[in-house]
Amino acid sequence: MKTGGRCVMGYGSSRSFSGCGFLRFALIILVVFLALPAMSNGAPLLKVGVLEEPKSLNIWLASDAWSSRVLSEIYQPLFTREPSKLALVPWLAEKDPVYDPANLSYTIYLREAKWSDGTPFTSSDVAFTARLVKEFRVPRFLSNWSFVKEIATPDPRTVIFYLEEPMATFLTRTLTTPIVQEKQWKPIVEYARKKEKSLAALLNQKVDYPVGTGPFRLKEWRQGAYIFLETNPNFFGTGKRIAGRDLGPFIGGIVFKNYGTSDAAILDLKKGSIDIFWWGLQAGYVDDLQKDKNIRIITNEKSGLYYMGFNLRKAPFNDKALRKSVATLIDKDFIVDRILQGFGVKMDTVVPPANRLWCCTEVEKYCEGLNKEQRIKKAFGILSEAGYKWDEPPVDGSGKVVKGKGIRLPDGTPMAAFTILTPPADYDPQRAMVGTMVQEWLREIGMPASAKPMAFGSLTEQVKGRRDFDAFVLGYGKLSLDPDYVRNFFVSANDKPQGWNMSGYNNKEFDRVAEQSVKEMDLEKRRELVMQMQRMVVDDLPYIPLYNPMLLEAVRTDRFTGWVSMVEGVGNTWSFCELKPR
Amino acid sequence: MEIKRYLTRRIIQILVSFFVILTVLFLLFRLAPGDPVSRMIDPSMSPEDAEHLIAQLGLREPIWRQYLVYVKNFFTGDFGYSFHYGRPVLKVIWEKLPNTLLLFTSSIILSALVGIFLGKIAAWNKGKPLDSWMTIGALVTHTVFLPWLALILIWVFAYKLGWFPITGIISEEIWLDPDAGALAKALDVGHHMVLPMATLFCIHFGSYLLIMRSSMLETLKEDYILTARAKGLRESVIRDRHAAPNAALPVVTSVGLSLAFSINGGALTETVFTWPGIGRELVFAVSQNDYPLAQASFLLIALVVLAANLVVDILYAYLDPRIRY
Repeated sequence: MKTGGRCVMGYGSSRSFSGCGFLRFALIILVVFLALPAMSNGAPLLKVGVLEEPKSLNIWLASDAWSSRVLSEIYQPLFTREPSKLALVPWLAEKDPVYDPANLSYTIYLREAKWSDGTPFTSSDVAFTARLVKEFRVPRFLSNWSFVKEIATPDPRTVIFYLEEPMATFLTRTLTTPIVQEKQWKPIVEYARKKEKSLAALLNQKVDYPVGTGPFRLKEWRQGAYIFLETNPNFFGTGKRIAGRDLGPFIGGIVFKNYGTSDAAILDLKKGSIDIFWWGLQAGYVDDLQKDKNIRIITNEKSGLYYMGFNLRKAPFNDKALRKSVATLIDKDFIVDRILQGFGVKMDTVVPPANRLWCCTEVEKYCEGLNKEQRIKKAFGILSEAGYKWDEPPVDGSGKVVKGKGIRLPDGTPMAAFTILTPPADYDPQRAMVGTMVQEWLREIGMPASAKPMAFGSLTEQVKGRRDFDAFVLGYGKLSLDPDYVRNFFVSANDKPQGWNMSGYNNKEFDRVAEQSVKEMDLEKRRELVMQMQRMVVDDLPYIPLYNPMLLEAVRTDRFTGWVSMVEGVGNTWSFCELKPR
Repeated sequence: MEIKRYLTRRIIQILVSFFVILTVLFLLFRLAPGDPVSRMIDPSMSPEDAEHLIAQLGLREPIWRQYLVYVKNFFTGDFGYSFHYGRPVLKVIWEKLPNTLLLFTSSIILSALVGIFLGKIAAWNKGKPLDSWMTIGALVTHTVFLPWLALILIWVFAYKLGWFPITGIISEEIWLDPDAGALAKALDVGHHMVLPMATLFCIHFGSYLLIMRSSMLETLKEDYILTARAKGLRESVIRDRHAAPNAALPVVTSVGLSLAFSINGGALTETVFTWPGIGRELVFAVSQNDYPLAQASFLLIALVVLAANLVVDILYAYLDPRIRY
């Protein structure tokens, strides 16, 4: 028996251990695929690279960004925001709502539309959606519907909402929530209703084929690989002009391809295997991608807020003068130019500048136009006036800036060392770096600050749960375009464990204006109240608004044209409805 | 009788170990920072509604009651529903497990075969340049940083040369093509497996080569090898039929344990290659505080590793009678 060159094992057995079979198999696969041409069905499918696949297609459960991306092309709201001015425009509704102040009601007239299974979309679907959310108290949606007292459906294309009290967010949030099909969800609701934990039963319902009214419908989901949404032949917008835009879709569908890392997705974008990587790029990728003539980098503002917060429940952070001095010492130009590499904007208030309707520009700009020496002198002046002393002041007798040492509080006690908590660099290098820079700027005046990166879960638990901290750098990447979060972040009622008022800001005047703002139905009056709230926050500084990074996205230009830019980027329903194959 | 007593003792030990693991896992996730429901709650949600959600997920029960439910559920095979998928945990795991097993078992078996073969050659040529090159090569590939190697392979073979797909398990071009047959789809999966398999192969085969080499060198000193030589057998027969089978035993043990551990995939490999396996799922479950999914995944790993240990113990007890006493 020939055994030379082979490894044989066992007690005298002749089982081969050579591995030649495996190698041969691998070689065959390699050769076959090198010979295979790139296969395509020829349809103009848009290929979208994403980092994760959706966790669920059950819209009531799906809270992750990846599920939202897919579901946003299937389920549609009554009103949506148009891309240029972000104004609300009728979408499943036919025209603007009619407000009746006497009855505190809104009448909505529906467009003639069909679900993706061909059945008509009617007012009872809208009423069913609202009742479902209220009955099951569905998280993330309930707050948009809880104040709706009653819904009447006088005919299939008319819905009347009766509100319990005036609520400004009705237009911006309630009417922009997606509507589900009664036919599909009624049996699920009946099943869940019988369960002891009815909400859990509703959330745990698997939805294989969501029926929607959007421009696309689910064709196939290969778990772990891709999701294919084909064009919905029943889409109400096809061939129509809405908000001054001619809608398709003009593409055969969308394939969402799943990538685990940005690196892999970007390589496939360069290779031409995907048309867009639907995720913000790090600035470091930009130069390389710009060298490719078929790739375009599109820059858009985000509806984000990155800020430094203080714990106002403890000294010395409960001292406004100290917070103002910190705001003065922070060099926002450095943050934007160096840390964000120019891909961001400075923030002076807690509403991002991209949200032009609600952003207040008339607020105090603490460090604007000051160089390092001027910032230190101004901060020194603020603190000195408030009674702070130094063993070695940062500005000497001749007016020269030196390193400050031994800062003392107005009561004479030395300022204790304090910590600025930040997310770790592997989670967000920019926030971690901002923490380090703030530490350095504060040390120049003698404040014993130390930046401390901490695992994100631990950080939020410490800040929001235990509320045991000095200061922190955190951010929101995707704030609602309605500014009601300003109220939620700073109203004193939310100063509680796990509450949204993390700083412990407590201002009765702010509370009063905030409550008034949420009940003000007149847009202009509400706008003035929101401006007033921002001015109070910027004056009191529970948060120091720092920056808002730009959203950088990369798209290929050789297959499709017509990307629509808006806040939060070009990956939006308008783009998918307007893109045309080249 | 001895073997029966030995096995009973080992099974009791394994059951105790498993129970400890069960308890530690439960506590670990509860002690970890973070909140599984925070992402489902928006700022305007009232405290009562947030409480309602927490209660619905069973997180408002006292910790001891949660523990009892957890133990009871485990023994009745009910691992609960994933907080994020909203589906039974076992279903989520079973969907991902075949992908992990396919990739990892094939790569471990392939690397073991090659490692044994090359280890045998290296030991046979001890002190010669071939041995030195093989040993150095094995050390280098075994110690290389896996994500780096994976990215280099992707860059060269997938991006620059275009021979293989960059990531994933299938191509939509083939799977969406109604004319594509089963063979084309199977080959597509094979095509996608080449680079992740090559990465895992590079990382693993070195250790098998080194174990085999060292074991073979010991075996070659045995008297029966001398006897075989004295009988005038050919060198290749002595190497392949007499020395290699016995020298391969430690490698077989190592492969057995590696196969057991392969169930957790290797989050790094699966992430870099976007391989939809259990390793990536595990990382996601831990980072998102998806207690039911994370607990079940870890328990499955613990169960398989303990079972593999038991099998190895049984094998050893049969092979080496001293162990039974």
